[in-house]
Amino acid sequence: MDNATPPTHDAVTRRSFLRSGSAAGAGLVLGAPAILSAAAQAAPSDEIRVGFIGCGKQQEVLFNAMKNIPGIHYAAVCDIMKDRVGAAFGRIRAAFGNNPRRYLDVEDMLSKEKDLDAVFVATPDFWHAPHTVMALEAGLHVYCEKMMSNTIEGARSMVKAAEASGKVCQIGHQRRSNPRYRYTLDQLINGNNVCGHITSINGQWNRGVKSSQDIKVKESTLPDVSVLNKYGFKDAHQFLNWRWYRDLSGGPISDLGAHQIDIFNWFLGTAPTSVMASGGKNHFKHREHFDNVMCVFEYDTPAGGARAFYQVLTTTSAGGGYYEAFMGTEGTVQISERDAYTQVYRESDAPSWDPLVQRGFLKRSSAPAPAATDGNVIAAYASAAPEAYELPGALSKPPHQPHIENFFSAVRGEASLNCDARHAFESEAPIYWVNPAAQAGQTIQLTAEHLNV
Amino acid sequence: MNDTPPPAAKIDLGSTFSFWVLRLWLGARALITGIEKYSGTRSSSEAVTIDGAPNTYGLTAAQSDKVYGLEFYHGVPEALSQRFASEPLIPGFSLSLFDKVLGPALILLGLMLLLGIATRLSLLGMGLVYVALTVGLILIRQDAGVAWLGVHVALVAMALNHVSHNRLAILKKW
Repeated sequence: MDNATPPTHDAVTRRSFLRSGSAAGAGLVLGAPAILSAAAQAAPSDEIRVGFIGCGKQQEVLFNAMKNIPGIHYAAVCDIMKDRVGAAFGRIRAAFGNNPRRYLDVEDMLSKEKDLDAVFVATPDFWHAPHTVMALEAGLHVYCEKMMSNTIEGARSMVKAAEASGKVCQIGHQRRSNPRYRYTLDQLINGNNVCGHITSINGQWNRGVKSSQDIKVKESTLPDVSVLNKYGFKDAHQFLNWRWYRDLSGGPISDLGAHQIDIFNWFLGTAPTSVMASGGKNHFKHREHFDNVMCVFEYDTPAGGARAFYQVLTTTSAGGGYYEAFMGTEGTVQISERDAYTQVYRESDAPSWDPLVQRGFLKRSSAPAPAATDGNVIAAYASAAPEAYELPGALSKPPHQPHIENFFSAVRGEASLNCDARHAFESEAPIYWVNPAAQAGQTIQLTAEHLNV
Repeated sequence: MNDTPPPAAKIDLGSTFSFWVLRLWLGARALITGIEKYSGTRSSSEAVTIDGAPNTYGLTAAQSDKVYGLEFYHGVPEALSQRFASEPLIPGFSLSLFDKVLGPALILLGLMLLLGIATRLSLLGMGLVYVALTVGLILIRQDAGVAWLGVHVALVAMALNHVSHNRLAILKKW
């Protein structure tokens, strides 16, 4: 990226108007055939004007999650790959009928788009910090995808820039705004203590070899090598598969694990005291990052010690997808973004949960209960099977939508962020030490130096 | 001199049945595809009640149903529409227009074909719709889709070629 400092972005008057403006009328455009919404080219002044930095797969996920949110004007899209810019442009034009301006360089976009209010950063991890800092310094609010950065120094720079700018900076740990997670923490774990003393946590993201293959695109759609080099990629393979390179990303533990280890720290309300880890290149031998990583975090909680095991496997889908399970002396909450992996279990000797069911905090599971004995049980050693329960409701929106809604509410001054840069850093910091622990084969005691901004 | 009247033209039952089958297939294909463009999923947005009051977290009743309604209309599938929209050879107004008329056109043509109303014209209209869709797919290099539509066009052409065997039609003219 060029070193030129982007000019200061100045749209204070319009932005302050945002805080008191209403979004009425914007919803009329949503869902209407594009031919009817062509008039939406000019954004009313109460709309939040948004630009996208990075237009790959994650931008598509974000856009699909936010296009039902009223009061947003999609003003600009930017990516170094022309095809991706075109695809993002097409998504916006198809949904809203307006033509966002297209850019191949971030600094060019920030210097020309004087009316932007916010940007969504969905670039490769090693660009998160530079792009976020650049946008904050240009006076924009920022929603940046997790992992904050590929390095802990990069993440620290984001916290400092966000706090110096006074702008809103949300990090994309979208579970933090998911009603299922917020309800479970507030009402089940803290409010009704369904787990008792949480002694163990188990989390995983297992996916098979087929889902972990290299990304390939038609060569003719790729930027020139000189362009790739300019933006920090050695070649096309690095550009498309940056997640497997140590200088560009944190690998699977950061890519997939960050979301879930964030939940460990958020739910326990504290950072771990140590991490031990093991990883290997078991199948994808030529990749720089481990394809499989297992790690254990130790925690001191007010209730006593706890340890959390996490594994990210990119070579097998066995073991049931992705979830986080908080296992306590009285019950277990297994939670996931997917309904199918979410369940609550009561230990057979724990107090009855009938009152919770009657009040609507939990539902009895519709799945059949396991048999008390099946002939293979050695009764002296085995516990009775826990009773299964379900959460009382679900999320009827795309998983990222509540987090983006929270971001826009914060931009309008109507809410505080659910995952600002500082809180995201506190939760992400232990993750930066998993790969070093695995590489060194040592337990790392996590101190303030490891975990503080 | 022979006074016996000339024999009535014999109905070729095999050809008649084969045309019926073709007409039914093409009609049903278009009609149901057109109707499906008005389908959507409605998730419950009703907040579940917890401890005697609607919860404030946003947890809703966990069910979603397939429903039909004008508000769910989507002419060109969204994934394709996005790619068409970024295609410079497809003007924005034509994409919008096509998106708007595709569903109603498929329903109308499907009904006309099933009921036997102006069968030649309805087959021609259907063929043109499939050709128009094919043009878009060629531009975005969806070769499998082009081949799939090519089969439809071939069936329409075959039906036009055998339209003289059309029976049980409300309006045979055209």
